[in-house]
Amino acid sequence: MNQDALVWCLVAAVAVSVAAALVLNRRNKAIAAKKSQVEATMTQKLSETEGQLATVWAELQQHKAQHAETIREAEEAAEESTKAVLKGSARFLQSLAAEQLALLEEIQRKYGGHAVLGDLLEVNHANAQMARKAQGIAVMCGAPLGRRSKAASVYDVVRSAQGQIRNFRRVEIMQQTGFALKASAVSPVALAVAELLDNAASFSQQGSPIEVTFQRVQKNLCIVIDDAGVGMGDEDRQKASALLSGDHRSRLSQLGNQPKFGFPVIGLLAQQYGFRVDVTGISRYGGVRAVVLLPEELWTEEETAPAEAPQLSSIHGTPARPESAARTAHGLPRRGARQVPIASVPDRDDTAAPPVAAPEEAGRAAGRSLGAFQRGTLSGRNLAPAPFEGSDDA
Amino acid sequence: MRDEPDHDLELTSPLVPLFVITNGRSLPPEHVYERTTLVSAHEGASAAARTLSPEARLVLDLVMDGFLSVAEVAAHTHLPLGIVRILLAELEESGLVITRKPVPRAERADRELLNAVLDGLKARFGA
Repeated sequence: MNQDALVWCLVAAVAVSVAAALVLNRRNKAIAAKKSQVEATMTQKLSETEGQLATVWAELQQHKAQHAETIREAEEAAEESTKAVLKGSARFLQSLAAEQLALLEEIQRKYGGHAVLGDLLEVNHANAQMARKAQGIAVMCGAPLGRRSKAASVYDVVRSAQGQIRNFRRVEIMQQTGFALKASAVSPVALAVAELLDNAASFSQQGSPIEVTFQRVQKNLCIVIDDAGVGMGDEDRQKASALLSGDHRSRLSQLGNQPKFGFPVIGLLAQQYGFRVDVTGISRYGGVRAVVLLPEELWTEEETAPAEAPQLSSIHGTPARPESAARTAHGLPRRGARQVPIASVPDRDDTAAPPVAAPEEAGRAAGRSLGAFQRGTLSGRNLAPAPFEGSDDA
Repeated sequence: MRDEPDHDLELTSPLVPLFVITNGRSLPPEHVYERTTLVSAHEGASAAARTLSPEARLVLDLVMDGFLSVAEVAAHTHLPLGIVRILLAELEESGLVITRKPVPRAERADRELLNAVLDGLKARFGA
């Protein structure tokens, strides 16, 4: 009996526990299902949020890019409008400076015999420097350079450049060459060399020489400028090379308060006209050696008449003076009757035409009589014996 | 200003300015090289000519064969008189040319003295 009761009890307990297990199992399943459901929702929400985030991020990037673009455009527009304004002014200054130079030349010729010439030369020097600056600004703004219509010897081009810097007397041109620059290259090369000379003068001691030599290297003609300055560091050299190659274009707004036009201007000119400039060399004085490399398209080997005296050919073209057959005891030529009147100044206009016979005859006679008059005056006045023409009229 | 046509600016001034030709030397006083001062090359000047500027060499060439006046040199070279004076000063300094001063103009006669002489003559020989 007791045993039965125990068994029943046990059975009941088992049944209860089975039922409980079943119930528990069911609940577990329900919970698991709910969990996975929640998880799925969460994942979905997360991915949605991530998607939104990505969109927002993309939008942000887009805005950023747009912003940068707008800034760049604004900067460019500002640069362009600055350039346009400056270009107009620079052109005005450029043409005014050129006009003044021409005017000054005229005045210098007009008052050539007057003491005021000394001052005029100084004014001319100041004006030449101003003209260089105006040209430099014009180049930076993309305005064309003033051009020359005649070819010129490279020697004269360097002399022209020499006149455009302040301490031009420090520049020594060591050679005179027969190489001539074509007309189109004269202005740009002169300006580039002027900027290099100015650079050489500013970065070397006052009074130290700046030497210019010419070298022909294969098909190139080189203008070599040596200064006795402190030279450049590696960083400066790299920067200079980048500017001179014309690849790195500096903006007007980046030039700063004390703008250094020199190298950017040279770089632009070099790129535009097809020559190369290198400043990485070291001069024989330990300073900078700047080399302007002119390809054969820019120059010829022809001799050109000196810029200042194109008319002279006609003087030298006339029959030679009596060759120095007769010489005085001191080796000076005897002053005989001249074949060609020495005072026959050829007309400025007829450089080509040979002198006509009749005026020459007249001139010759005049020259002879003038010579006789001069000799007469000299002997008549009984001047102190001339040291070098002693036995001339004896 | 942007619409301004990009016409070319032609540079008409001489390529080499005069102050470069004179290498910035100052003008010698006028009386040193008067227009009629005669100039001639010194002996052996032609040897040194190679180192000169083309213009100075031109002046030297002109006076190589004898005396030439300063005014004539200026006329031949088409350089202003003052520039020729500076070049001559440079050449003379390096001993390449010699100059000969022009004959001074006759001094103005003293009118009083002449009157006195005239009076004397009149008194002596009657008039």
